[in-house]
Amino acid sequence: MNEDADLPVADQADSEAAATVPQADPDPESDAKGLSRRQMLSRSVAVMGGAIAAGVGVPAIFYIAGPAAEDAGVAEWIRLGAASSVEPGRPTLMKANIERRSGYLTTNEELSVFVTTDNGTEFTVLSNVCTHLGCRVRWVDEQDGFFCPCHNAVFNADGSVASGPPPSPLDEFEVKVEESQIFIKGAS
Amino acid sequence: MTSKIGDWVDERSGWRKVYETIFLRKIPKINWLYTLGSATLFTMSLQIVTGILLTLYYVPEPTQAYASVDYITNDLTFGWLIRGLHHWGSSAMVLLVILHMVRVIAYGAYKYPREATWFSGVALLLLTFSFGFTGYLLPWDQRAYWATVVGTRIGEVTPFVGGSLKNLMLGGEEISGLTLTRFYGAHVWILPGILLLLVGVHMYLVVRNGITAVPKRNE
Repeated sequence: MNEDADLPVADQADSEAAATVPQADPDPESDAKGLSRRQMLSRSVAVMGGAIAAGVGVPAIFYIAGPAAEDAGVAEWIRLGAASSVEPGRPTLMKANIERRSGYLTTNEELSVFVTTDNGTEFTVLSNVCTHLGCRVRWVDEQDGFFCPCHNAVFNADGSVASGPPPSPLDEFEVKVEESQIFIKGAS
Repeated sequence: MTSKIGDWVDERSGWRKVYETIFLRKIPKINWLYTLGSATLFTMSLQIVTGILLTLYYVPEPTQAYASVDYITNDLTFGWLIRGLHHWGSSAMVLLVILHMVRVIAYGAYKYPREATWFSGVALLLLTFSFGFTGYLLPWDQRAYWATVVGTRIGEVTPFVGGSLKNLMLGGEEISGLTLTRFYGAHVWILPGILLLLVGVHMYLVVRNGITAVPKRNE
């Protein structure tokens, strides 16, 4: 919007300004210097206002997004338990307590995973979180699969999708066995 | 393009008239002291923005309040800046409203026809103090605690209703978690609601009645 063209301006009530700016010149833009006092002021306000808004706005974005990028401080390797407790051929539910840090709070959480082995030496660890919408799956012997109660999804023993809406197989954890104990990798 | 959109909206809302009335109104020859009201308004906006940002992390609960403030100040990206602006902004605002009021007194700007502007301004002054008082408790440190003890004891000496007034402020006999939550609720909901309403009235009256000229000798 051109605020100079036809609107009554405050300067006209200003006797001093009226004395220096000829009333006969209705268009301050035609001023020889190219920039009227009014334009200069409104541009200064825009520049300063923009600088202040950016000075608060940019840090505010980092301030809001900060914790999203924060490391939850979960231990790198989480101990699940004895390798001998896993029944060969059938996924076994194993639990571990993990500490999760969010901001200034540390919470204890129970992590549940399914551990599978065929030979007692090599293990596969699958997350119990359905890849559809995050409900918890459970092993159902009769179906020979993991069943998710939320939308009747079924995963095969190896984690692949057998039926239902999940877009991808169950997440698999990186595993290591040390001194007959199974560990999974927590933090990426 | 911009002016076409402007025209379209103007035809349906008349916003140009509003814009002209507010920003292009005629004013007498004045000086820099007349910017104190705008400075207060700006500081208020900054307090609103930084205050809203602080609520994203602050927890008004006795075991977490201090820890959350500590987290904001020391761990969070730019938390020191947002809290710092809010902290110093509150002092700046108290200072600015007082200077603004002194200017109005000195220039006699409270007289006819601007008495209503003055009265709403007095309410806004008290409201600013209330913001300062309720906000001061929220960090939940020793200074906050004892300042609230002193502040509410001052309220207690009010004739007749003092005791009830103190208990009403504290939500009981002593400072507790209930005091913290009610100060928080007052600070972020009750007072801002009243503030925005009164600022609206105050600004309307300033535009409606115009501003006073600097008084001259022999006038």
